[in-house]
Order: sequence, then C-alpha cells, then structure tokens
Amino acid sequence: MIQARGVSRRYGAHVALHETDFDLASGELVALVGPNGAGKSTLLSVLAGALEPSTGSVERRVSTGWAPQRPALYSRLTPRENVELFARLARAPVVGVDLPERPAAELSVGQRQRLNLALAFLGDPRVLLLDEPTAALDDDRRAALWQQVAALCTDGGAVVFATQLHEETERADRVVQLHGGHVE
Amino acid sequence: MRRAALLLRKDLRVLRRSPLLLAVLVSYPLLIALLLALVAGYANAKPRVAFVDDDNLPETVEIGGRTFHVERTIRRVSDDVVLVPLDRDEAERQLRNGKVVAIVRVPAGFVAQLKAMQRSPRLELETTRGLLASRVTQQMQALVYSLNRELQDAFIAANLHYVDLLLHGGTGTFLGRRFDVLGLERAESRVSDPEVREFIEVAQLALDQTDDALEATANPIELETVSAAGRTWALSAQVQAHALALVTTFLAAVLAAAALAAERDERVLQRLARGLASLGEVLASKVSLAALVAAVLGLGVAVAFGVAVEAAGVQGGEPWSRVPALVPALLLAGAVAGAFGALVATLAREARSATLVAVLVVLPMVFLGIVPREAAPAAGWVSDALPFAHEVRLFDTLLYDVDPWRTALVEAGWLLAIGVALFAAARALMRRLTA
Repeated sequence: MIQARGVSRRYGAHVALHETDFDLASGELVALVGPNGAGKSTLLSVLAGALEPSTGSVERRVSTGWAPQRPALYSRLTPRENVELFARLARAPVVGVDLPERPAAELSVGQRQRLNLALAFLGDPRVLLLDEPTAALDDDRRAALWQQVAALCTDGGAVVFATQLHEETERADRVVQLHGGHVE
Repeated sequence: MRRAALLLRKDLRVLRRSPLLLAVLVSYPLLIALLLALVAGYANAKPRVAFVDDDNLPETVEIGGRTFHVERTIRRVSDDVVLVPLDRDEAERQLRNGKVVAIVRVPAGFVAQLKAMQRSPRLELETTRGLLASRVTQQMQALVYSLNRELQDAFIAANLHYVDLLLHGGTGTFLGRRFDVLGLERAESRVSDPEVREFIEVAQLALDQTDDALEATANPIELETVSAAGRTWALSAQVQAHALALVTTFLAAVLAAAALAAERDERVLQRLARGLASLGEVLASKVSLAALVAAVLGLGVAVAFGVAVEAAGVQGGEPWSRVPALVPALLLAGAVAGAFGALVATLAREARSATLVAVLVVLPMVFLGIVPREAAPAAGWVSDALPFAHEVRLFDTLLYDVDPWRTALVEAGWLLAIGVALFAAARALMRRLTA
C-alpha cells in the first residue's frame, strides 16, 4: 500500500532520518518505536507526504490519513469548522464530531488530540499514519481508537503508528525500531 | 482556485473573530499617517534664520523723503522665516550646530549706500548645505524682494521729485548739495528759438509720463494675491492619496505576513501539503485576503475623507464619482502589498517575528515614498521599485486628475509588475515554511 525507497530527511547539517526503505502491506499494523529524536515522527511525516524527503521516493497506492504528534489544526476555528474545512479541501464527506463548539485553542489537550485524529479519519483513508495517537486520550477514547484501527486492518487497510508505550507495541503485527535516524 | 477560496473564507472568519487585531491593523497606519502629517506640517514651519547687524542699523532710516522703521519693516516682510538677532560669532556657532539654518548679515555701510541711492547695497546670506538650503535661499530672496517693494516706492518718489524739479523748477538737494533748477516751464518763456521751444514742449510731455513709466519699470509684472476658500492641507488630494496608500500597504503587508506565518505556526501547512492545497493556492489565499481587506478598509477611509470634506464644506468637494474607480486600484494595491507581506513571512521564523519584520520593512518603504524626488533622487529610484509610491500616484490620479487613465494605467502596470515579482519570489521561498 505504501512503498518508500531510500528516503532520508535532513535539516541543515542534521540528518533526522538516514536512507531507509519501508513497505506497508494490506492488513498490517506496524509500530514505530525508539527513543526521543530517533526519527519516528520524521518517517511518518515523509510516508504521509507532509514532509518532502531529502532523498528517495515514496509511492502511496491508496488514500492516507495522518495525525501528527502535535495537532495540526486551526486553533481559532471550532472543531466543526476545522472538520468542514479539511473535508471540503479533500472533497470528503463532512462528519460530525462530538466536541465542544468553541475555538480549538480553548479545548483541552485531549480534546485537541481527538480533533487531530478526527481529521486523520476524514474521507475514510485506507492507510492511517498516527504519531503517538493515544497521547492525552482517556481510557475509553483509547479503546475506541484501537477498535477503529483494528477494524481498518481487518478490512484490508493498514496502520503505522509511533509510540513510546510498550503495551501498545504488543498490538502491532510488526515493530520497527529506530535509533538516531536509522532503522535497526 | 476553489481551495484558495476555501482558505480565504477561513481567514476572513478568523479575522472576524479577532476584532482587536483588526482595530490595531486599521488604527496603526492611520496613526502613522497622522504622525507623518504632523511631521510634514513641521516641515512647513518657519525656519530660524540668524540676523547679524554689522551696520548697527538705526531705529529709523529716511530714504527719498520717507521714514522707515527698520526693525518693524524687516519683521513685516519676513513672514516665512523667524529672524533671530545674534552677534556674528553666536550666529556662526548656531549655524554649525543646526540651531539656525542660515545667517543673513547686514554689512557695515549698508544704510549709507541705501540712502545714497547710487549703488544697490548688499545683504549677505550664508546657509548650510542640505535639503533646507535651497528653501531658505528662496525665502530670503522673497524677503529681499519684499524689502525692495517697500523701498522702491521711496526711490520712485525721490526720482519723481527730481523730474518735478526739471519740469517746474525749484530747489533740490543731491549728495548733500543744494541746487536751484530753472525748470522747463520757466525756460520755455525765456527762449525765442522755435526749435528749442519745440524741444522743451516735447520734453515736458515726455516727463509728464515719467510717473507711470517709473512704476511700470519697477514692477513689469505684479502678482495679486487673492485669498480663496481652497482645501485645507489636511484634506488635500495628496494627504488623501497618502493615507489610502499607507493604510493599504501597511494593512495588507502585515495581514498577509501574519496569516501565512500563522499557517506554519499551527503546523497546518504540512497537512495542506498532503494534496489538500498547493503552496501556490495557500499563497494566493493570503494575497486575496490582503487585497479584499485592503479594498474594504481603503474604501472606508476614502468615504470617511469624503464625509469630512463635505462636512467642512471644502471647495471642490469630494470627487464621489471617482470613488468606485478606487476599488480595483485598492484590490491591486492590497494584492501587491500582500505578496510583499507573504514574502516577508517566508523569511521569518514564526508569526510574531513575521509581523514585526513586516512592520519594520514597510515603514522605511513608506518613508522612501514620501521623500521628494528633488531632495534625494536615489530615494526616488529605490521607491520606484517598491509599491508605495506607485500606490500614492495611482490613488491621486484616480481621484483628482481630469484625465487620469494614462497615468493610472502606467502606475497599475508598475504595481502589477512589482506584484508578480514579489509573488514569484514568495512562491519560490514557500518551501521553507514546510521544511
């Protein structure tokens, strides 16, 4: 579903991700693990097309959804307005969100993360790229998220997620360890 | 463009929710315009000129039979400068440190030469080098002209007295010597030669015309000044055009810079870069936002000016029929300034520094645009490559020229070219924002 060949990412002199190959097959649930600064978020951003690789190329054969580690949304718009805007930009159906009708800047961290995830699910993508998706979520929301992830994989989709939590890696079919920008 | 329009709608919604920001964006350039007006007003203030009297001018001087109160006469004719009596050394010192912009010196022997009426006495003017020198020289020339006007009446009266002596005879004085003159009238009765008598008659006729001839020679052209109810400076065409350009440039540049930098601050650009909107569409939405807001607020400023002009009953009134023509001009000016602001945003690290840099860059651009080309040609050349001066000329011609279209097309062409260059540069640098 996604094939990356020789992708790397450099910020000036600093290499955040050394040349890496990555393949994602249908039905796979892949966990990216590693210490802070290992290159997990960079790899996810490159796979999502949010960041251009310094070298190499990424082939995405299906639609992808992306939830960055720090929510990427308009803080002066309400959750509904954020969803409407991104849905219209993506020509995807507008879905309802169960969040307070006030500017995103005034939401709690957990509520912002829920909005962040809601934007990733817009348009029912076949592949989800989630960067520490359960951070700041309460137990019920975490359970609901993993249910959605499992359903997608069962349905032939695929999910790649970055995590710092050992128990979350146990859900994965495959664990990719990163360290210092290298896949180990 | 559908996606650019969606982003534009979002930006307008955000702007509507930021009334304080909007108020600052409108009031700040108006405040700058007001300060500039005050500075320009100060530039029209009377310069201080040292007055050095090396001749020890008497309180009064009698010339051609008329008495002049020297100080009062000089003060009356020196409306455009403030004359400060100083001794020579103090005047030189104040000229060096800029407290006075010139020294006008009355050299020794001035009054004696004036009273002798043989040679024109000289006043000496010493100015600094710089922008004010030519202005002060002009004002001092005006002062000497006015003094001459006062004196010439006395000189003409004195000359006519001699003509009268020639015609009718009598006793006169010249260079302190008394003399008796027979006069043509009395001479005619004592002469029998017909040719001489004829000459005397012709001479009498000619000398009878001397009065008018002397007046006409002294003043070949007279300037008659009539006070009319013209526009006050504050409501003049220039101020209106500058205020519009200032509001447009400032508002559009800062708004576009802040809006684009905010996209990066909120990390949304990377989400958009995933095929939701191209960088060009994001840039176009910011430029459109700047153009739209500049047009609406610029039009508001123009209408406010018009209302003030009408309320004050200013002669000429507001050219209301031309106000609609401002709309495309304001849109164009706003778009160009918006492209400039977007370029600034691509170079800044985040929204606050982008806004600050935009303000810091726009201010000198505005100042460059108001420096008179005659005063500093280099400033004019630099200004030609920037939007502000073209905006001023565009608004000025659209509002007040009888046939504005040629100038408007030229200035709009300039703005378009500058805008395209700025947009292209901003587009090329946009990748920095997603890196």
